[in-house]
Amino acid sequence: MGCASSLPDRTQGPGLLNNSDSSGALDPKNLKVKLVLLGDSGVGKSCIVLRFVRGQFDPSSKVTVGASFLSQTIALQDSTTVKFEIWDTAGQERYAALAPLYYRGAAIAVVVYDITNPDSFNKAQYWVKELQKHGSPDIVMALVGNKADLHEKREIQVQEGIDYAEKNGMFFIETSAKTADNINQLFEEIAKRLPRPSTSS
Amino acid sequence: MLQDDDDANSSSETDSIDQNPNPNPTTSIDQSLDAIEGQLTSISLHSIPPIPQIISALPSDSHSQLQQATVAQNLEYIDTLPSDSHSQVEQVVESPGEVDMERGVVDNSVSRGQGVLWRNNSDVDVDVEGQGSPSSSGYAGGKGTSSSSSGISGSGIEEISGDDEVDRVEVVNRSASFGASVDSEWLPGKRHVNEDDASVSWRKRKKHFFILSHSGKPIYSRYGDEHRLAGFSATLQAIISFVENGGDRVKLVRAGKHQVVFLVKGPIYLVCISCTEEPHESLSEQLELLYGQMILILTKSINRCFEKNAKFDMTPLLGGTDAVFSSLIHSFSWNPATFLHAYSCLPLAYATRQAAGAILQDVAESGVLFAILMCKHKVISLVGAQKASLHPDDMLLLANFVMSSESFRTSESFSPICLPRYNPMAFLYTYVYYLDADTYLMLLTANPDAFHRLKDWRIRIEMVLLKSNVLNEAQRSMVDGGMHVEDLPVNPSPLSGSLSSHLGQPRPPLDSTDGCKTLLGGPAGLWHFIYRSIYLDQYVSSEFSSPVNTPKQQKRLFRAYQKLYTSMHDRELGPHKTQFRRDNNYVLLCWVTQDFELYAAFDPLADKVCFLL
Ligand SMILES: Nc1nc2c(ncn2[C@@H]2O[C@H](COP(=O)(O)OP(=O)(O)OP(=O)(O)O)[C@@H](O)[C@H]2O)c(=O)[nH]1
Ligand SMILES: [Mg+2]
Repeated sequence: MGCASSLPDRTQGPGLLNNSDSSGALDPKNLKVKLVLLGDSGVGKSCIVLRFVRGQFDPSSKVTVGASFLSQTIALQDSTTVKFEIWDTAGQERYAALAPLYYRGAAIAVVVYDITNPDSFNKAQYWVKELQKHGSPDIVMALVGNKADLHEKREIQVQEGIDYAEKNGMFFIETSAKTADNINQLFEEIAKRLPRPSTSS
Repeated sequence: MLQDDDDANSSSETDSIDQNPNPNPTTSIDQSLDAIEGQLTSISLHSIPPIPQIISALPSDSHSQLQQATVAQNLEYIDTLPSDSHSQVEQVVESPGEVDMERGVVDNSVSRGQGVLWRNNSDVDVDVEGQGSPSSSGYAGGKGTSSSSSGISGSGIEEISGDDEVDRVEVVNRSASFGASVDSEWLPGKRHVNEDDASVSWRKRKKHFFILSHSGKPIYSRYGDEHRLAGFSATLQAIISFVENGGDRVKLVRAGKHQVVFLVKGPIYLVCISCTEEPHESLSEQLELLYGQMILILTKSINRCFEKNAKFDMTPLLGGTDAVFSSLIHSFSWNPATFLHAYSCLPLAYATRQAAGAILQDVAESGVLFAILMCKHKVISLVGAQKASLHPDDMLLLANFVMSSESFRTSESFSPICLPRYNPMAFLYTYVYYLDADTYLMLLTANPDAFHRLKDWRIRIEMVLLKSNVLNEAQRSMVDGGMHVEDLPVNPSPLSGSLSSHLGQPRPPLDSTDGCKTLLGGPAGLWHFIYRSIYLDQYVSSEFSSPVNTPKQQKRLFRAYQKLYTSMHDRELGPHKTQFRRDNNYVLLCWVTQDFELYAAFDPLADKVCFLL
């Protein structure tokens, strides 16, 4: 992961948000990062976020319109805290053209697919390519295979996800928003991979 | 004239606050309520007397003595067509060049009254028998069932019967007041997806809505899966293009109990097939709103997709919006805003609304285009930036979109939304936030990067609203409802004893000594009313009370008002001032002036009891 390298100029740090709250932006112990979720409609982006932020899972489908904004702070073992400012984008096709509005300046992109749906895996690859072209150059990317609880309906093998993620320098994990499996791990692992604005070394 | 409200700023300042450079909506809303109060008082004082005269002069054959619109008679004539007359198709066609239907921004009155409608039984002959449509066969084998791909053929239409049961969804769960708490039980979303035009149940539905492309590709269908209706869609397309090629434009086809209403919007065709006996003008306006809803989601720039590829399939672009369209269509049978082209305000105490208006005003001055605070379908406060005016139809479509998209309730959102009357070509960005289960804030801006600023504003707004108790007051108002006809002063003398329920004060107890008490409803047998202020783009309606308290009765009254509205706004017959109608259910009064329109329903027996007092 190239992004582990230290960043000499932290104002260049991808999306380390210092726009709305300039006071704490440079505090290396309290990070604030912009995270965007991308992926086909129905793969479970909103469910992942709501599980992470509110610990809930609501099986009734609520198609996202435009994008929703949520935030959640986690504490890492080294006593730093990371505040995620999350853009949960709409996967519906009509919003695809507007995605840059939401991923612009994001430090982290979480690209989600549904392990039971090959189309959604193709769509995930589309988003990865788009982010490589137009996202922040230092963006941390994660590939997430969601709905891992539906293993009897699995269409995308774990290895396919691992291989694609590896090729593209992404972090990979399979999750289930329904059972909460790996949801917190996803965000913790991302947080660990974040470039730190200043290392005390 | 009535509808020249494109320019009338719904939040425009009134004379009394001219010195204020910025529109102050709170004043207009409360003035509206005051005006209504005054109006109603004066009605119960002065305007009732004419009714008994007319009613007493109303032996069943005396219609001509009344200012009864002949349109109504036309409609009745239509209704009395033999039910097996599907071959006797009657059409209203529109000659080309008269009207520019493409103008998405035209006022509804224009689309309703454009030019001259004429009935034409010979010049244009739509083939409703058999498979005459030139291109339907091309699609018939595709997905639809071949036997029924002629969809609109005689048999197809005939089999749609007025079965009440089938349309149950529409009838049940009407709310207790037009526009107040819309039934929480009614769930938006597509039903009966497994139907297609071969299904008997599909054919029996009373009111179908379709959107299709000019190449015949289905875009939206109220019932059934769009893709399975490809054959049917192609048939509709064939009819429209067949007539258009002849230089005419189909607007209406009547077949037995059914009306088929068409609306052409560039490459997009909209069709309603209905046996609900609503005036075709109403159906046509409903199609306009349906189109507007689509533009709100996609903007009019979708037309370009058809320029590039005539066979462009639009359905994926509308993915996940079924609930938006179905709840709009549902509102055609309960929300008066859909035909009045006006919005309604939540009754609130002056100070409460003032508090909400003041903070929204600050937001609007900071560069936000529109700041709107609503409780369900009712406006608490609305502020526009200078010169920006929000058309009531846009407001309806916006509120419908937000309320029917469940995801707005889970968290704050920032979404592209197009206001078709404001600018059909461009998206605005809308910050949406639910302050409680019913109350939501919408901040619209042209700046796609404004999210964090709007979020900060919302936090400030929320603090102010909590401090001034606006949210609690709004909740209380929702529970109390609006005006009650029972509260209207029965006795002309105490002018002071007025409607105060909209100020959140307890209602005066009913005067139990009054002779009218034997009647249900309000004074003089008043059962229900709607008052629409022309300049404010607002309306107020009374709560439903006995005896108009079942969903079925409410829907019947709704339809009666709708019919009344249409006949009062008929262009050919000129503007009407007053109209009385009487049937077994009520005496209906409509009174239109330059400033307001009043629609009221009275007890049909009231003349005998109360008017004599
Ligand atoms: N079995 C299972 N179902 C899930 C899981 N996550 C989400 N779902 C279901 O998938 C459906 C869609 O989930 P959403 O979170 O709304 O999908 P989305 O990616 O946000 O979709 P858009 O907002 O349209 O982009 C929901 O009805 C959930 O019930 C999961 O982990 N397991
Ligand atoms: Mg979502």
